[in-house]
Amino acid sequence: MTSACEATTRALPGAAVIELSGEVDGSAAAVLTDAYERAVAAGPDNQDTVVLDFAAVDYINSTGIALIVSVLARARAERRKVVASGLSPHYREIFDITRLSDFIELFPDLDRAVSELTHPAA
Amino acid sequence: MTQVAPRRLDTFTLASEPGNERLALARVAGSVQDIGLSDARLERLKTAVAEATMNAIEHGNGNRPEIPVEVAVTQDGDEIIVAITDQGGEVHPEADEQEEPDLIRKLDGDQSPRGWGLFLIRNMVDAMDITTDGQRHTIWLTMRTGGAAHDERM
Repeated sequence: MTSACEATTRALPGAAVIELSGEVDGSAAAVLTDAYERAVAAGPDNQDTVVLDFAAVDYINSTGIALIVSVLARARAERRKVVASGLSPHYREIFDITRLSDFIELFPDLDRAVSELTHPAA
Repeated sequence: MTQVAPRRLDTFTLASEPGNERLALARVAGSVQDIGLSDARLERLKTAVAEATMNAIEHGNGNRPEIPVEVAVTQDGDEIIVAITDQGGEVHPEADEQEEPDLIRKLDGDQSPRGWGLFLIRNMVDAMDITTDGQRHTIWLTMRTGGAAHDERM
């Protein structure tokens, strides 16, 4: 019934993508930290944006929110922007009420996020 | 007008083991599936139940599996009431979360990144109450079936 958090990473020009699946809860701490470090180190240049894709995430709890806050704090300290994609309407609401969406731009899906980041509107 | 008595939809207990909050949310969701909650309100109730059960398991019962968390789901008119009881008594470490979470302070390192549980619960349901009776510590979650208290956010 429960599924451990997993993360795959890939590098795009200027952006590091972390695709998450399973549950973002307290057990996801090491997965998220490792994925962040792998993602920002993998790019050909200094990745200034980190994309967190939640399309395959089925559960985020308050501890998971705390982990996302920690990733955001670290990224900001390293002068990186964080964006998110693939959140369900319910978790978009939670990003709104926690004010995470004030600091993390939300995209409906990863394709839209990647398109916007790699081909920004003039 | 005829007064309809409250109807008990389900009662169950869970061992106080981390992760069992997922069992609580699934079972509560099953017990209210025919009540007519919108998908959005059902998702909010599930999140509130999961967070309250996590608190009961971790803070109330100290992750001791032999101490059960009790869950009761009742329909009273247009309200669904979920009562989640642990044995944490009066001095409940939920008090750790009395400080309102402030994202900017968290990002600046002035507040722990954690402490979102009660905040989420309060924002997910139409009403939240906490009572104690000796060692029994109960959080009461109320969600109206036709309520619109939070729907405007969507």
